[in-house]
Amino acid sequence: MTMECGSLSRRFGTPRQSRGAWQLSLPRWKAAAMAAALHMALPCFAQVLTDTPKGIVTAHDHRIELAGRWNVEGVQHATAIAASDERVVVLDALNNEAVIVTLASGAAQRIQTKETPTAASFVGKELYLLARDAGILHRVGGEDTSVAADLLKGEYLYSRATGTLQKIGGKPMQLPPFASDLEVDGDTVYLTYPREALVRSVRNGEIATVRVGAVPVDLAIAGNRLAVADPSSKRVWVTEARQSVAEALARGFLRGFLGLSGGRRDAALPTGVDRVETRGRVWIAYDSSSGTLYHVTPRQSTLLARNVPPHAFALTENGVAWWNGTSVAQKSLR
Amino acid sequence: MGAFCLVLVLAQARLASDFEIAQMEKQLARSRDFEAQLSGRLNLGDVRAARNEPSLARAEYVRASELAERERLEARRDSALTRYATATSYAALAQAKLGDEARAFTLLEEAARYASDDAESWNLYASAMRVLGHPRKAVSAARNAVAVAKEPLDAAVYQHALATALVDTGDAAEAERLLATLTAALRSDAFAPLREQAAREEAFEVYSSARGDVAAYVSLLNRAQLRLASLYEKRGAVDLARAEYRRVLEGRSDDVTALSALARLASSDDERARLYAEAFEANPFSPALIREYRKNPVAPATDMQRALAALVRGDRREARALLDAMLVQFPANETLLRLRREAEAGAFTLPSPSPTAPELRALIDAFERLTPGQRAALDAATFTSEVANGTIAGVPVRGVGDGTVTYRILGVVEGGVLLLEEAR
Repeated sequence: MTMECGSLSRRFGTPRQSRGAWQLSLPRWKAAAMAAALHMALPCFAQVLTDTPKGIVTAHDHRIELAGRWNVEGVQHATAIAASDERVVVLDALNNEAVIVTLASGAAQRIQTKETPTAASFVGKELYLLARDAGILHRVGGEDTSVAADLLKGEYLYSRATGTLQKIGGKPMQLPPFASDLEVDGDTVYLTYPREALVRSVRNGEIATVRVGAVPVDLAIAGNRLAVADPSSKRVWVTEARQSVAEALARGFLRGFLGLSGGRRDAALPTGVDRVETRGRVWIAYDSSSGTLYHVTPRQSTLLARNVPPHAFALTENGVAWWNGTSVAQKSLR
Repeated sequence: MGAFCLVLVLAQARLASDFEIAQMEKQLARSRDFEAQLSGRLNLGDVRAARNEPSLARAEYVRASELAERERLEARRDSALTRYATATSYAALAQAKLGDEARAFTLLEEAARYASDDAESWNLYASAMRVLGHPRKAVSAARNAVAVAKEPLDAAVYQHALATALVDTGDAAEAERLLATLTAALRSDAFAPLREQAAREEAFEVYSSARGDVAAYVSLLNRAQLRLASLYEKRGAVDLARAEYRRVLEGRSDDVTALSALARLASSDDERARLYAEAFEANPFSPALIREYRKNPVAPATDMQRALAALVRGDRREARALLDAMLVQFPANETLLRLRREAEAGAFTLPSPSPTAPELRALIDAFERLTPGQRAALDAATFTSEVANGTIAGVPVRGVGDGTVTYRILGVVEGGVLLLEEAR
């Protein structure tokens, strides 16, 4: 059965104006080149990648690899990856499996999870795996806990369906449902709400709200700077607080988001970006619809790579790394 | 006369499926919008798959996937993110039907990120997970769809999806409760306007991706009743099952699943034969019906039934003749091609001195392909059998009288009759 989605398209249709978009000097694409980019071959999807203190770890073709160090048997469909200083875990949400590898030695442990392990989080020495469709949070080597959640970041769990936010082992707190992204910075939790065009933060049980763009889908935070990916406006909204973002947002001082796009917006980010990541002062943005990865700065946005699978890129100490289909490509962004 | 009847029978038999395909192709030709095009392609793929035409089905799913991917990019260029989420869900479903698990999952998660408040996105998530054989994931997604559904018909669609996924996980009790409530609701006054509209429009086609409320209602009622009946049947509640299958036939008198189920549950051979005949007239190529009928090939009334009965008794020669005639009309039909392969002659071995019926049928089957050496061995051999009414254990013979006869086998004449010569 096909159904229309009410008035949502009207709500999504008109991006709000930015107050002062930083004009980016982007490479100008010819129309034909852009059309070709939009009809490119679809990226392969069973590859994930992350940066670790020992180097880039990739999961691809049923293997997990730290180049030059070790290469162990992986999972059939690598759907997520997470790392600590000592270990890396690769999840297969389709086959309910996880493989945990010790970075130093390459020693691997394969575990069967409950239904649909979608996310992993290292908290201190503990590793938690969220088996979303079973409503179970595994503590690897410990007990399982019943939870209703589909996002896990750090110590926090959020249920899109009910809006319940919960610190592991803590009391649940009620927030509006249907957030698209959950990020944690210290003791502050941030959530993006695409339909409402809002970012909410929670600190010490207090909820603060700020309106951002037209359809904020993903956010990243580093120090006193917050960035929000808004594919509808084809911009990355960035704001900088005098002190911390959390304090500024809580006091209602966090305003004046600047939309980074790049001059003629359709030429800059033709299909918009819906993921943004940061490390130190480096920002990257990603477009899930076309698999395109960009480097974003206040002055310019640069296309880094095309055909990149959704979880096959990561910021490194010096720049960015991504899976190019056969190997890891890296670029220094300092 | 035989060939003429065959064509007529098959032409009638094909009406249901061919009509549906024709309707879907008309819908595709008329419509330009994305969802109509896409649902048309998916439906055609599903009908082709049901007719055991996997290559044609795959071609439709590939076209559906291409449509959805194009729509995703266009929606993003247009900053229409609801369109994007919908297109992404459909792209995932098409990928699931094509068997690409990893891509389907990634696309479904992408859609959920954008539209976790959209029941239809969760419903498509559940459908894709079922297609990929992950029923527990399907149950989880279907529960989300039910939880966020707003309209009664939408909620009913998602309840059916949930019940279907529950059946797949083995939780028949919850599924049965859900379906009993759902089918009662669909037959209630609350849905009377849709029922009346369906009657006015003579809408009876059943779609996997129905477009519009009437088509959705008709398809949903059909599927929900069939599923509930099947659950009743599995737990031995035969009367409840029969009643539910009959309700299906009230909506669509040629429903092959209901007809074959009622045939299976029939209390007499006459009733069973009538129902099987109707089922084969509705769709002679249904693999499920064919499997079912071969277990108990009563009173064949159609050529497909006759071919299946011939295969069951080992009369591959007759089966080949019947199947070849059908293949003239439907040369690409995979069910016919598979049965035709099965009807090919097996390896020849000389019958024993007192041949059994299967040995004689195997000889008849292979006779045209005997090597000169095999033919010489056959010419030199004599056999002894009891002949009664011109048959040996039911295999028709000519050239010898009734009684205990020692004979040589000369050949096979028209109609698969063995020509014998008494040995002196």
